[in-house]
Amino acid sequence: MWKTIASFLPDWLIIIQSLIIFLIPYFIWRFFIYIRERANIATIKQESENSQENTCNFTGNLNSDLKFIKKEIGHNSDVHFREFNIGNTGIHAVIIFIEGLSDKDLIDKYIMKSLMIDFSNENISAFMTEEGFNNIIKQQVLSISDVTNTQNLNDLVMKVLQGSTALYIDGSADVFILGTTKGKTRSIEEPISEALVRGPRVGFTEKLSENTAILRQQGNIKSLSFIKFQVGKRGNKDLVVAYIKDLANPDLIHEIEKRIKKIDIDYLPESGYVEQLIEDNYLSIFPQLQSTERPDRVISALMEGRVAILLDGTPFALIAPVTFSMLLQSPEDYYERWIPSTLIRLLRFLAAFIALLVPALYISFISFQPGLIPTKLAISIVGSREGVPFTVLLEALIMEVSIEILREAGLRLPKPIGPAMGIVGGLIIGEAAVNAGIVSPIMVIVVALTAISSFAIPEYNAGISLRVLRFMAMFCAAIFGLYGVILFCLFLCSHLVKLKSFGIPYASPAVPFNLNDWKDFIIRVPLMMMKRRPKMMKTKNSIRQK
Amino acid sequence: MKKNISGKLALITLQVLLLPFLTGCWSSHEIEEVSLEIGIALDKGYLSNIDKEFEEQDGGYQKNNNITITFQTVNTKGIGNNSKGGGSSEQHSYLNVSETGDSTFQIVREIPLRRDHPIIGHHLKVIIISEELASNYSIKDLLDSYLRDNDIRPSCLVLISKGRASNALETNVIGEIPSFRLTKMVENGYRSNKILPAMPLAKLTGKIQSESSFLLQNVISADGEVKLTGAAVIKGKTNKVVGFLNEEELEGITWINGKVKGGVVKSSVKGQIIAYEIKSMKSKILPHINSGDITFEIKIETEGRLSENWVNRGKPSDNKFLREIEKSIEAEIKSLMENVVQKMQNDLEVDVAGFGNKLKIKHPKVWKEVKKDDWDVTFSKLPIKYNVEVTVADYGAVSSD
Amino acid sequence: MIKSEEKITTTQAIVIVTNFILATGILTLPRTSVEKVKTPDVWITVILGGLIMIIAAIIMVKLSQQYPGKTFYQYSQEILGIWIGRFLSILIICYFITVSGFQVRSMAEVTNFFLLESTPLWAITMPFMWIGLYLVFGGINTIARMFEIIFPITLFFFILVLFMSFKLFEIDNLRPVLGDGITPVLKGIPATILAYTGPEIMLLLVAFMQQPSKAVKVVIIGTVIPMIFYVFLVVMVIGALSIEGVVVRTWPSIDLIRSFEMSGLIFERYESILLVIWIMQIFASFVISYYAASLGLAQLFRIKFNKIGFILLPIIYIIAMSSNNINELFKLGNMIGNSMWFLFLGLPLFLLLFTKLRGAKS
Repeated sequence: MWKTIASFLPDWLIIIQSLIIFLIPYFIWRFFIYIRERANIATIKQESENSQENTCNFTGNLNSDLKFIKKEIGHNSDVHFREFNIGNTGIHAVIIFIEGLSDKDLIDKYIMKSLMIDFSNENISAFMTEEGFNNIIKQQVLSISDVTNTQNLNDLVMKVLQGSTALYIDGSADVFILGTTKGKTRSIEEPISEALVRGPRVGFTEKLSENTAILRQQGNIKSLSFIKFQVGKRGNKDLVVAYIKDLANPDLIHEIEKRIKKIDIDYLPESGYVEQLIEDNYLSIFPQLQSTERPDRVISALMEGRVAILLDGTPFALIAPVTFSMLLQSPEDYYERWIPSTLIRLLRFLAAFIALLVPALYISFISFQPGLIPTKLAISIVGSREGVPFTVLLEALIMEVSIEILREAGLRLPKPIGPAMGIVGGLIIGEAAVNAGIVSPIMVIVVALTAISSFAIPEYNAGISLRVLRFMAMFCAAIFGLYGVILFCLFLCSHLVKLKSFGIPYASPAVPFNLNDWKDFIIRVPLMMMKRRPKMMKTKNSIRQK
Repeated sequence: MKKNISGKLALITLQVLLLPFLTGCWSSHEIEEVSLEIGIALDKGYLSNIDKEFEEQDGGYQKNNNITITFQTVNTKGIGNNSKGGGSSEQHSYLNVSETGDSTFQIVREIPLRRDHPIIGHHLKVIIISEELASNYSIKDLLDSYLRDNDIRPSCLVLISKGRASNALETNVIGEIPSFRLTKMVENGYRSNKILPAMPLAKLTGKIQSESSFLLQNVISADGEVKLTGAAVIKGKTNKVVGFLNEEELEGITWINGKVKGGVVKSSVKGQIIAYEIKSMKSKILPHINSGDITFEIKIETEGRLSENWVNRGKPSDNKFLREIEKSIEAEIKSLMENVVQKMQNDLEVDVAGFGNKLKIKHPKVWKEVKKDDWDVTFSKLPIKYNVEVTVADYGAVSSD
Repeated sequence: MIKSEEKITTTQAIVIVTNFILATGILTLPRTSVEKVKTPDVWITVILGGLIMIIAAIIMVKLSQQYPGKTFYQYSQEILGIWIGRFLSILIICYFITVSGFQVRSMAEVTNFFLLESTPLWAITMPFMWIGLYLVFGGINTIARMFEIIFPITLFFFILVLFMSFKLFEIDNLRPVLGDGITPVLKGIPATILAYTGPEIMLLLVAFMQQPSKAVKVVIIGTVIPMIFYVFLVVMVIGALSIEGVVVRTWPSIDLIRSFEMSGLIFERYESILLVIWIMQIFASFVISYYAASLGLAQLFRIKFNKIGFILLPIIYIIAMSSNNINELFKLGNMIGNSMWFLFLGLPLFLLLFTKLRGAKS
């Protein structure tokens, strides 16, 4: 009897293997904790270094304050100081503005004119007290729409550097900031990266105020709200969070505001920085915010209860939260009728599947399980692979890496050569490689199919994610064959269901299962039937149409 | 300090994660490095000249030369040349290699000793067993390794060959592969009622285990040509071939068990040939129990078309003539069935048409009793009645003589 | 105790129960049941087995509903006292660990046999378990979402592939119906119980449901779906292979799919689809029983959930590798099936009566 029990006791080898099976994920887990800790320590450190804000205030004495201001920004060649007297009163005043950024017309015609020439003597009586004088200037004299006050040097400098004009009146510590910003921007044209067949040909520009204007103009929505933040310690930029007040979930808005306030970096050149700093899981391959240049996309997202983030200086707006289904959708789906939209959407899902798995499946079938492909196909593959010196994995890698290099190169080439190079390069390289006996013709077909499918994905960052994943899938297939591909898919699905974008599970609306949300997932039901907003967004008001 | 330890842990993890790439891939064999076998022929053991030479040079091993297996694989070098735009080569698209021994599995594993590409069985389509071998060894033993193997799919067909089985794997036509040819031929059952429905390994297991007798399609070969002729009868108790049915007898069997999907019945009216094309048929075997005595009644209903009419002044548009034709066809079918039942009962003493099965379904309690004795022997003594009904539904494009 | 966002919906609960039941049984059910019954009436046995399982599951659900918000590990201590409760919990935890090990090993065996011949078993098992660990870290919600993805894919392809085998189907293989009477049918019921192990997860799940009152509906639907599925499976397998053929094949379901080829369609051979789906199903079963075991240990010994996951990994691996050959593996499966009778039919009934009596008293 002892013998039978002993025969069930595990072997030494098995005990060692069980130790390995425990240690490896344990180390990986510690590794990830280590990485996350490093990221968090960095932010905490930065937050504790509270930058000493310049809290210099003005005194009211024009000469000393002017010296102050000139010390700060006077050395710049484009800052101009214009001293003058206000009307007949003899009171000194200075305007400070930046050439090129401020509207010269406005300054000349409305500020200087109304202060110097049109200043009527009746108001002199009220200039006894400081407050009175400034008030009158503001309320009766200055015919400018955008007027604010400040007493802070830093504030003044920042505003002047953005294009406003500072009006300093001797005797008052309150400085007027007049909004005269008028920078040069480009005209509104269709975004190149997201061209559609049907839809408005409007895209965002680099100026934040124009972008918000476009949103208001396009949507004409009463409860569209914009909240402004200043981000960037050295390079101060405006950031606007847009949402529809009576639709968006207030928890979502709070969460986004909280994360934006946490951003502590000295300069944000593009909204991509914002995206990377506020997303849930920066180690994941999948993007958790969507970037777009199209205002119609933004407005549709807002109407679903999402939130948009616009940054000054870039035409790319961010939409949060994002779910996996949004990565494969395009606004055209809604502008066309439901049958072609549904079919094209199905095609896109198929294309995504192909782009991800076909090379991996090819490797696994050829190297590991030739019994799973049809006999005639197997025979022709064997025939075509007779002279090829490399293993399937290497062949696939060579072709895939070449295509990726071609793609990158095509982006950098000047416009006339770019597309031609892509096509010609692909054909010639493929043909030449087959003739040289480096790759087999079937490999060329597989790779071409994959490349074309990855172009069919409407979102650029989703396309990038799939490209990276394709390589991982190929490696998994090369080690374990079909089983490796299965494990890879399971791992990917596990990651997808764990990922959350601002509280919404990333894999919605597939899961959690909600029949209503499926109306817009793989198929697109007729518009008449899409009566409710997506349930996963937990909006305040869910009725779209009755 | 903590950072240092975590950093070291990170490095260790990275190194460990890279380990799988060092091990290589255990199960990966590139497809062009293996031979795909597509057909197997099992014959009674004989040594070819090369085998004799090898044995003289001490190339033999511990075995009895009972079975010779011929493996047919695809000749990829021939295909490779064709696809690169070369002219039509004179090579066959297939390669046959034979090996002799006594254990079917060991024979397969001898091939890597003689060929650069070992053989894998994923695409095996057909197994042909010669009658010589199958009458001495039970089919169960011969096919055991194929049933057990994980490579070989149970969809593989099994055929018996009256002569040398390896001859069925030869062809004179360049570019044709004999195994595929055989596989496609067996699927022609919808055009002829002399072909048995295909018997894949999966179904064969059930038949072998149930110890009932069954039929396997017979193929004969001559000079690179093959023909599906009749069937081999395998007795349930021994699982060995005990006899053959020729084409007509096989026809009778297919009429009895209702597996006709198409075909022709030739008969004569007034001494002239008429041919009846079968469109559909139904066959019912009814067992009757009368106070312990078992009798069978076979009811056949078929509908078809008059496809060939050599009769002078026969007017198909006239119902009377049609009735004559129908009667003649009925008589023909009845005689086919009687013939084969006679052969089954008297010559071979087996039941291969499924009578036992029908008895089991209709009268399970009687079956239980009868099963205790040998059903094949019992069956040989039972009377059978026939009832055939033919309907000629139309007569094609020529309506009168 | 359990946050409201961690609750699972009714649909998710149904999917979890179904996925747990559909596991190794798919491949072996035709053979194990026909071995005992020996007639083609196995489909009746399967239906009866399912009904018995539903009754047992309803008892478990009623028991759990008496203690809302608490899993079995917590309320067992309330019913019978701390020590006996702990002992029972440990029994259940051991059961779940064994089930995990059994599933992993059978998956490794099948994969080794059909897909990767030369790969050692440990190389097949380790990545599988690691991905399971990764999923379990996410908690019941993540697991439920993952199952919602796996479930429809599995169901669709299984049914599709089963119907494709219609070519080989012979109705005569299933007749005569009840030719030998009802006795053989009843004799085969214990063999089918192994295929139905699954509803015991309700002992934990009711605590996580958003609407515990619907738990009875959950468990009925969750058992009926696999039951219908098993009936289909058994009918198709026996119809194509006949009972004599089924008994001698180790993995009859896979053989069914391998016995036909449909040339001209994309794959000629569909067992690749079946194996892919089956591995995903086994993964689902493994993950849920792994989760159940780690939840048990975490609640029993008050350790953090994540750490327990790591510790269980080598234990499950050792149990998985403890069988020396495939016969012992099947014996392990039978042991699990037999322990079901005591652990999940007798025990919950006893506890339920006990609770009712105590409730009636106070």
